[in-house]
Amino acid sequence: MGEVGLNAYLTVGAVLFVCGVVCMATKRNGIGVLMGVELVLNGANVNFVAFSRFTSLGLDGQTIALFVIVLAAAEAAVALAIALNFYNNHLTIDVDRGNELQG
Amino acid sequence: MDFEALFKQFLSGDVAQQASILRSLVIFLPELVLSGSIVLMLAARLVSLDRIIPTHWFALLGAMASFVIVLFQFWQFGQAQTAPVEVFTGLAIHDEFSIFFRGFLTFFLVFVIALTVLTGIPDDEDAPDFYSLLSGAVVGMMLMSSANHLLMLFIGIEMASVPSYAMTGFLKGKRRSSEAALKFVVYGAGAAGVMLFGISLLTGILGTAQFSELAPRFQAVFANHAGMQDPATRCVVLALLMITVGFAFKLSLVPFHFWCPDAFQGAPAEVGGFLSVGSKAAAFALLVRLTTSLAGDGTGALSQLSLSSGLALGLIAIVTTTFGNLAAYSQKNIKRMLAYSTIAHAGYMLMAVSALLVLQSVQSDLVFQGNHQQNGPRAMEGLLYYLCVYLFMNLGAFAIVALIRNQTFSEEIDDYKGLAQQVPVLAICMAICMFSLVGIPPLGGFYGKAFIFASVYEATNVHWFMWVVLATGGLNTVISLFYYLRVAKTMCIDARPADAAPVTLAASSSPALYVMLVSGMVVFLGIIIDPLSKVALHAAHALF
Repeated sequence: MGEVGLNAYLTVGAVLFVCGVVCMATKRNGIGVLMGVELVLNGANVNFVAFSRFTSLGLDGQTIALFVIVLAAAEAAVALAIALNFYNNHLTIDVDRGNELQG
Repeated sequence: MDFEALFKQFLSGDVAQQASILRSLVIFLPELVLSGSIVLMLAARLVSLDRIIPTHWFALLGAMASFVIVLFQFWQFGQAQTAPVEVFTGLAIHDEFSIFFRGFLTFFLVFVIALTVLTGIPDDEDAPDFYSLLSGAVVGMMLMSSANHLLMLFIGIEMASVPSYAMTGFLKGKRRSSEAALKFVVYGAGAAGVMLFGISLLTGILGTAQFSELAPRFQAVFANHAGMQDPATRCVVLALLMITVGFAFKLSLVPFHFWCPDAFQGAPAEVGGFLSVGSKAAAFALLVRLTTSLAGDGTGALSQLSLSSGLALGLIAIVTTTFGNLAAYSQKNIKRMLAYSTIAHAGYMLMAVSALLVLQSVQSDLVFQGNHQQNGPRAMEGLLYYLCVYLFMNLGAFAIVALIRNQTFSEEIDDYKGLAQQVPVLAICMAICMFSLVGIPPLGGFYGKAFIFASVYEATNVHWFMWVVLATGGLNTVISLFYYLRVAKTMCIDARPADAAPVTLAASSSPALYVMLVSGMVVFLGIIIDPLSKVALHAAHALF
């Protein structure tokens, strides 16, 4: 079996990114949108780790990936709390139902 | 170097390395003090100390202490004339520019905490949460202003954004507040994800994440590449576009501004004031740092990069100011109007960055060389001065909105009719802030705009497009006159309807003194320009 090259990893990262963006754009459920965000972040993480293995980026790439995992967790915690609060007030997490603020 | 070697080096305790870590920690002291005050606030609640000493005293003391430390660092820097110092193995940088912004942000934090104490937005039960979010966001913004590494850029932005989402939804029982927070967090998380993907592409192609090495690597990679046919070029352009998305979200630039009016209308006015000044200032500091280090010395391929990104930002600035001003015109809710005005002002400030980049692109050109030594820093000076004036005028406007809300429970502009008869102090201070936001001399806003337009005018020597930017800026100032003056007219000239809720505020009460102090600073910065503009110029020189 030959070595898997950089391009294969970047393709996986790009596919994850596109899936995430499509998910963010089409989902009406608030939790679904947040899942799309996680996909995008992890697509970027695959890129970072692949670049750190194959290019001169070195250890930086892996360090960034670790930090991003932590930040994604923090962001998800706050986002879920906000989604729960939205549910308490509106009895739905459909993002399209938040239409009271307009003008 | 692999991990094991690094770990061994750390354990073996290289004296020079330990000294540099110690030095970094000393430089990092303002952030540490703020973080310490957060821990204190939370610990105080644990032992019910907050029932004896109100939490805002911890927050206020922490903010003041870190502001004093930043002032001391500024004085120290001025004494020794030292070169910029890279701290934490180059993750962050310590120079006049970062000192300026850290001072700006901690000073602003003191004012915001004072405002929340006067208007009483977090009740005693929620105060530790609110102030720890507020101080935490400011720590993130301070990291943004001293970032020297793409990782730091992302961490800073996230650290500033995540507490902002929570603060927007802070009024838990309100439908509008929760809707605003959900919109803000969904847009924000999406923009951050796209930005991170852009960063991953950029670091991968250039093989570094250090700001100072971006430009040389860019030169090396693109030394013999030509045009957009080349995949590497296209990839870098894509990466820069994605990073721009993240910045456009933070700065609420068109077409990523949707969250801004909704978040500001749903959030308490105090939080709106905080977001409109603090996160904008930090994002501009970061944008300037990133773009100036990408533009480097402006030779070869860098000149092209700098010019085209400058023009692209100019185009975004034009669209943003025009859109913000036109949309503000038809607003009935004052916080929504101020949100659109924030969008428009972000556009004006972006013009300074655009002018800076366009000027940077010709710095190696012999024809322009003589002028360049001054023009780049001048553009930055304009941006910094504008930000300082903007702090006072926007904070003043939001403070008045919060004070009136506490008595009438309304934020509609129509309910402000004839307030001058009942609370002349608020009406006059609001008029000052509004006139300054338009940019009428002799108020501070005029000089901020004048500095920025002057540097855009300088940039017209380089590229004709900057004339368009300049003309749009001028035209927009005229458009903005109408809606700002409408607020002033409603408050000062119209008669108070008989059934309107009465508003009372003694001229010597502390909220009135606070508002007078803030709007007094707007007038002061319009009359005595020299000290602040000298400091701003000094800070700007650190980047060149």
